Amino acid sequence: MSDTSLELVQGTLDVLILKSLSWGARHGYAVAESINERSGQVLKVEEGALYPALHRLEKRGLLEAEWGLSENNRRAKFYKLTSAGRAHLRAQSQTWTRYAAAVSRVLEAA
Amino acid sequence: MQLPPGFKRLLKLAVRPRAVEQDVDDELRFHLEMRAEKLQREGLPPAEAHATAQREFGNLEHVRAECVRLGHERESEMKRSLFLDALVQDVRYALRTLRKAPAFSLVAVLTLALGIGATTALFSVVRGVLLKPLPFPTSERLVRLWQASPALDSPRTVLSHPDLEDWKARQKSFTDLGAWWHVQNMSGVDLSGLGDPELLQATYVTDGFFSTLGMAPQLGRPFLPEENLPGQDAVVVLSHGLWTRKFGADPTMIGRSLTLDGVPHTVVGIMPPSFTFPSEQMDVWVPLSNIPESGIPRTRFNRFLNVVGRLKPDVTLETARAELGGISRQLAEAYPDSNAQYPGITAIPLHEAITGDVRTGLLVVLGAVGLLLLIACANVANLQLARATLRERELAVRAALGAGPGRLVRQLLTESVVLAGLGGALGIALAVWGTEVLVGLSVHQLPRLRDVRVDGEVLAFAAGATLLTGLLFGLLPALRASSTRLEPVLKAGARGTVGSGGARLRGMLVVAEVAIAVVLATGAGLATRSLARMLAEDPGFRSEGAAVVSFSVPDSRRGQGRAYLAEVLERVRALPGIESAAMVKYLPLESTGEDMAFNRPGHPEDTSNPPHASVMHVSTGYFSTMGIPLLGGRAHEATDTQQTPIVAVVNQTFARRYFPGEDAVGRSVKVDTTDIGIIGVVGDVRQAGLAEPAPPLVYFHVQQFSRSATNLVLRGQGALLPMAIAARQAIWAIEPNQTISRITTLDEVVSEAVTRPRLLSVMLGLFAVLGLVLAAVGIYGVLAYTVSQRQRELGVRLALGAKPADVLRLVLKSGMGLAGTGIALGAAGALVLARVMGSILYGIAPHDPLTFGGVMALLLGVALLACLIPARRAMRVDPAVTLRGD
Repeated sequence: MSDTSLELVQGTLDVLILKSLSWGARHGYAVAESINERSGQVLKVEEGALYPALHRLEKRGLLEAEWGLSENNRRAKFYKLTSAGRAHLRAQSQTWTRYAAAVSRVLEAA
Repeated sequence: MQLPPGFKRLLKLAVRPRAVEQDVDDELRFHLEMRAEKLQREGLPPAEAHATAQREFGNLEHVRAECVRLGHERESEMKRSLFLDALVQDVRYALRTLRKAPAFSLVAVLTLALGIGATTALFSVVRGVLLKPLPFPTSERLVRLWQASPALDSPRTVLSHPDLEDWKARQKSFTDLGAWWHVQNMSGVDLSGLGDPELLQATYVTDGFFSTLGMAPQLGRPFLPEENLPGQDAVVVLSHGLWTRKFGADPTMIGRSLTLDGVPHTVVGIMPPSFTFPSEQMDVWVPLSNIPESGIPRTRFNRFLNVVGRLKPDVTLETARAELGGISRQLAEAYPDSNAQYPGITAIPLHEAITGDVRTGLLVVLGAVGLLLLIACANVANLQLARATLRERELAVRAALGAGPGRLVRQLLTESVVLAGLGGALGIALAVWGTEVLVGLSVHQLPRLRDVRVDGEVLAFAAGATLLTGLLFGLLPALRASSTRLEPVLKAGARGTVGSGGARLRGMLVVAEVAIAVVLATGAGLATRSLARMLAEDPGFRSEGAAVVSFSVPDSRRGQGRAYLAEVLERVRALPGIESAAMVKYLPLESTGEDMAFNRPGHPEDTSNPPHASVMHVSTGYFSTMGIPLLGGRAHEATDTQQTPIVAVVNQTFARRYFPGEDAVGRSVKVDTTDIGIIGVVGDVRQAGLAEPAPPLVYFHVQQFSRSATNLVLRGQGALLPMAIAARQAIWAIEPNQTISRITTLDEVVSEAVTRPRLLSVMLGLFAVLGLVLAAVGIYGVLAYTVSQRQRELGVRLALGAKPADVLRLVLKSGMGLAGTGIALGAAGALVLARVMGSILYGIAPHDPLTFGGVMALLLGVALLACLIPARRAMRVDPAVTLRGD
């Protein structure tokens, strides 16, 4: 893990997973890849934390899972947002944006 | 294929879910493979790519376990929600169905509410009185102790003070022994100096009373050991009740002084509200040393102390019994004069000592109410079966559309449980009300009524009873209905008159109902007959038209009690309208009074078992005022005083037992060294209760042997209450500080004496009537249904020449056959109940033929009535109409 990549706290990982699924159903591997790419390799998703997080979200009814075929024709478990998941994502991203803005305001003021 | 998600979920479950573990493994493997492939594309050799992927993943086992756990949780949640969905659906359907049959629903719900409500109310009483532990710490180790005298047939005799001291010094089985003296209406103390003088309920206690029970005051302290030695400053502990009632729960009460019996007492403690021992209404506890030797002499002859002990943790009751028995025998040898007759002891758990009297009665009533609930169940099951026949087509259609038998049973059971639930909800409301009524009815008759309340546990009982009830009356009809064959029902078309298999089942239920009704009615009959026998006993005195005023000579007149009582009697007799007035220490039916042993000069006596009798202290005019017949000699006269020889009047039992074949009048007995001449013989009076035969009794003149507690009995013109009030005013004219412990009538005293048997008889009677009504409804229901089912057959019979009387006989025969079977079975069950009730019956055999015969005749009559209505309808079947229906 490079110095520039940041470890993720639990709640943040949940939001990122929901966000990554907001573009359509994906399997776990693709979720990890997309988060890494979109954060410009700054945020490194710990794979060991990803799967429990996915299963927890599924249990909470924010995600729905279904077995299907992957791009290379292999059996893979695809996750997609439920309407509850979509609503949760909306609420969480607002909170998160406001939080991040506040933190940076404080830091920049100094 | 794209399926809607909900549907897919259902399918997934229906097609047996893949193991969660398998899914997780597949998912994780897929991830690792994808990762390894990517690494390979970046140039790593395959083996290294796999190793790197795995390393980067972190703790694979840990992740796998976590995912599997989450998966399992999700699956069980899903199952639960599916189950709940189905349940909600079933309940909705059940409510809709019940709404469609309002008459059926109403009858069923009311029947069940009655059964569940009555059972719950009774349970709350039984639980409070019998099942809850006493409100003392480790109360199961508390034991009530008595001396026992086989010779006097007296297994529970209270202790003398010296005997108690010896027990305390010699025993090793108990951590401590505590003792108390309390007699309702007698051991009170007068509280003065705070408004009107008031009689407080007091208990005199020894050192160790509070510590043995394991109770300490919530405020202040208990008595110190030295406070129970004579000559100390007087101290008092208040009950929570008195503290709140009289002193507004004033927290500064400790250390204040109260004037009790004219003596200042310092308040040292206030007990918690739960502590009301030894009686429900208790105001104060006072050290026993407050009573001077002159009040209660502390001799071995004077037995007055109730004793409780706390068993050491490793000592069994048996060991303690053996040890105390040994001590009691030692005392009997060492002090033969006083103790020879008391070589034994009785030790039973305190809980049993308190509740033993009412145990059988309560359990019989609880059993009765349980039987009533069973009848209610049978009745509702019957209604269900009848409806099931009508609903056969509905069920057949549902089965044809794919509902499996399990699903149908579940639906029908849900219906039953919903029905029971409605009944249970109404029943709980009934139970709350019923418990209050029961407690009100049993004041002074049941111990521990403070512990009776409808709380969570009682509600849990009601809920359990409801659920069980629902399953009980729902299961049979549900199983039967779900096993119905399809084709015949559907083929039979609109008429819907198939299936008579339910008829036998319904018949069996009716037989059971009648049998239980017989048991209930027999119980009620026995209790009522027993009560009637008791009331028919001649108590030996005339109770009508007599008022009673009870009081004790106040301590301020101690030493002048004789003169005081004589003056009161004189003033009261002089009141206008008073025809006669007299005094007695113990009224009939209330107590046998003090026990006295004596010798008969000229008779060789068995020294180990000398003659003994109960002693009553009476004034002149007692026998005439009470209506007790003088059979020979004379009654006490005003001229029998301390200065003249001591004389006694004896009762008939005394004369017959101790002077058989001779005239007791003119004889004398010797008590210790005193000669007492017998001057008269009077009729027997029941002193211990209506059910107890009169003991040998000796009446002393209160002017020769004085006692402070007394009941003034008055007869005269006009109403009793004004007469008693006038007497009270006359007493207050002499002694303004005199407290009056009660004003009542002799009739009331008699009525109090039979309250408990009357309560039993009223309760059993009520349940029996309800049981009879339900059973009658059951018979009627079955027959009415059968007649309607057989209308066509009856029509054909009538058309072929059968007379209406034949049809009547046919229907009656089937109905009375059921009733007869039920009555025979019920009589057998009733014999068992009668044996249980044997110990609480008076004057009749448990298998009292009159009761059994009467109950059977009653049941036959009720059954006949219930059969007659449908039978008459059958007679009026018009063959033309029924046949045309085809």
